[in-house]
Amino acid sequence: MNADKHRWKNILARHETILVILLVIEICYFQLAGIRFGTADNEANIVRHSVEIGLLALVMTPIILTGGIDLSVGSMLGLCAVLFGKFWRDAGMPPWLAGFCTIGIGAMCGGFNALLITRLRLPPLIVTLGTFSLFRGLAEAITRGVDAFTEFPDSFLSLGNGTIWGLPTQAWILLAVAIFVWLLVHRTTFGRSARAIGFSPEGARYAGLPVERRLATAYILAGVVVAIASLTYTSRLGTAKADAGFGYELLAITAVVLGGTSIFGGVGSVHGTLLGVAALAVLTNGLTRVPATMNMAGELSGVLTGVLLIVALAAGSLPKLIRLLRRRSRSKPA
Amino acid sequence: MQALRGVSFDLRAGEVHALLGENGAGKSTLIKIITGAHQPDGGTIEIDGRQIAHLTPAVAHQLGIACIYQQPALFPDLTVTENIGIRLEDTRPFACVKWTTRRQHAAELLQRIGADISPDAEVRSLSMPEQQLVEIACAIGAGARIVIMDEPTASLTQQEVGLLFAVVRELRQSGVGVIYISHRLEEIFELADRVTVLRDGETVGTRAVKCRTGFQPVAADSHEFAQTDDRQDACPTLTETELIRLMVGREVSNIYPPAESDAGDVVLSLKNLSCAAGGVKNVSLDLRAGEIVGLAGLIGAGRTELARVLFGITPADEGEMLLYGKLVTINSPQDAIAHGIGYVPEDRRRHGVILEMPIAHNVTMAIHRRLFPRIWIRSEAERSLTLEYINNLDVKTSGPAAAAGSLSGGNQQKIALARWLATKPKLLILDEPTQGVDVGAKSEIHKIIRRLAKEGLAVLMISSDLPEIVGMSDRVAVMRSGTIVEILPGGSDSHEVMAAALGQRKELNRRDAETRRTVT
Repeated sequence: MNADKHRWKNILARHETILVILLVIEICYFQLAGIRFGTADNEANIVRHSVEIGLLALVMTPIILTGGIDLSVGSMLGLCAVLFGKFWRDAGMPPWLAGFCTIGIGAMCGGFNALLITRLRLPPLIVTLGTFSLFRGLAEAITRGVDAFTEFPDSFLSLGNGTIWGLPTQAWILLAVAIFVWLLVHRTTFGRSARAIGFSPEGARYAGLPVERRLATAYILAGVVVAIASLTYTSRLGTAKADAGFGYELLAITAVVLGGTSIFGGVGSVHGTLLGVAALAVLTNGLTRVPATMNMAGELSGVLTGVLLIVALAAGSLPKLIRLLRRRSRSKPA
Repeated sequence: MQALRGVSFDLRAGEVHALLGENGAGKSTLIKIITGAHQPDGGTIEIDGRQIAHLTPAVAHQLGIACIYQQPALFPDLTVTENIGIRLEDTRPFACVKWTTRRQHAAELLQRIGADISPDAEVRSLSMPEQQLVEIACAIGAGARIVIMDEPTASLTQQEVGLLFAVVRELRQSGVGVIYISHRLEEIFELADRVTVLRDGETVGTRAVKCRTGFQPVAADSHEFAQTDDRQDACPTLTETELIRLMVGREVSNIYPPAESDAGDVVLSLKNLSCAAGGVKNVSLDLRAGEIVGLAGLIGAGRTELARVLFGITPADEGEMLLYGKLVTINSPQDAIAHGIGYVPEDRRRHGVILEMPIAHNVTMAIHRRLFPRIWIRSEAERSLTLEYINNLDVKTSGPAAAAGSLSGGNQQKIALARWLATKPKLLILDEPTQGVDVGAKSEIHKIIRRLAKEGLAVLMISSDLPEIVGMSDRVAVMRSGTIVEILPGGSDSHEVMAAALGQRKELNRRDAETRRTVT
């Protein structure tokens, strides 16, 4: 009875346990086999490099919970980064003002996705596939593919390279967004509605939930946070180019799914997503620290990310698989 | 938990054997065992006197056991021929398809069961009973000798039921054994030779239904309804009351709870309401506090469409809605909720509740704004509110955290109802509130509806179950082709309602009823 009561919660709990175990295995392995993996310097490095993916994955979580997807976040990051550069260099704005304008642009990009999804009732996959090309194309058009914005003032560069109270500056942003999104998803009517929409959009509508408004909120929130991510990204690298954030959308989705969120919507958690981000970040960084893999870390991390995803998701359905095999072997002699 | 213990059931060739029981009595488990989907822990299964050691779905198929479900599992985008072909033909990956023989075979099968369906029709374009006929054709084509029908009439109109019954009778005549599951007792009396009642996973008894003298042809018109009562009298072996007693193990008053309330003020008044997209035309109706208005009509007459207009899913584009005399516009379900209108939809599993979510989340879903004014979920308030409704409506569940999908149909319906009661509505629209609900729960839901009306709620009840409409309603509004054609007083004769729904002229229909009364 009890198992039935919290069935999907249990599955989730089990999935998160698996993730924690995988993460511990990763850390132990790299600690033993890697060179200077566990140093404070490297730890800060891992955090710095995972902030953008982390931010994207965090805001991708509520979207996937509604049964949607946003493929445009990577391109949007590129567009925001380039526009930030434009605002600062060509419009002569101080970095803080340019930053706020960039966040406004992010909200508009997310709003554009939301508009097409809720008003024209187009599937999110198609809409964001379109804006995936559109935003990147705009970024390239603005810079004509070659222009890069560099030589930002130190005050801005400290966002991506400095520390506050011993933690990388952008880690605090990630933490703040994580807490915000966690509360939103797990403690408010927004999160509740998002799940309802993910399980059954029609059912949610018949229950009088403001389906369109909830969807719009999720996509606009994504736009705002992507803009913030574009700032930390630009600051960390010191340059803003049109290819910023290339391929980040798939990494973010991978982290969310790795974290146990169902791609069909309804089921999932923000802490799961954070664990997924951590598992990916540690893996990518660790491979560059192990002598045997150092030279082909890039290629290997792709392969191992796939393996990690499959292992994490398959582990959850292992009991089911065993039951199925057992039943097969039983029914065969008959 | 043990779903079945010590069930005995036998089926003869050429009989219709009804299987009856409340939801959760073990009917589905028994069917799953017969079709090989589940393995029994003990006992034996014999077919043609031969004991079957290990009944798997494949073996069941070979033995000629076929099951026809309530929702036909056909491919909607393929033609009838293709659907039948897929079921019956070679399943080797590169087998050649012989289109002419395939089509011929399909046509033959359809003809054999007397179905007037073109083999080239796309399944999507067929009505529900026609799709069921295609399923039956597949079963016959596969050489089925045992056909199981699981609530085949749940979503059919009275006319369509007649069509289906004719086919079932034909099956019986050709020596097929039919296991027939239904919640509608009148169908059992009309169709079955024997009936077995299950309760709490045990067989309570098997009874012969009637002394059948011959097959009566079923006319696909309104005269059908008259027959139920006559037949009951001609059947001394079993009465409806006894059947219900067997099912629930206690006496259930099958009579509808009496009307106790007087109609109060007009809550909602509709004036020439139309919605082109929803197919609703010129509807005028007053709904009063404390009154139950039944909305009768055939499927496609626009009843659910009217409900969807009132609830703002497909907003009205012409006409007026007056709430307590004040003009209102309802453009979304949120507007409807704000104006005190609740809607328990027809399709419980898709629209009524969200099966994957806990009961508590389902119950509070329409009152987020009131219960959680600062957007924070207050779990304790949610839990106590849910418990209140669980007790109030007598929902059988392990608690507010249980998934709605874990409940039986009747209890799911109570949750769907609780969601709208929680909004403290002034007008409650109920769309097929007892569809697919067992007898015990049905009578409970009727009592709840009556109680709500007594408390001053205006109730608009859509139902295809004529006795329910006539028994429960204070007034019956009959719809045909998108508009209300007649308003009859509660307790009217069912055939008057049906005649109006079918569009027979008023005087003719009166005279008809008159003659019928003198005959009986």
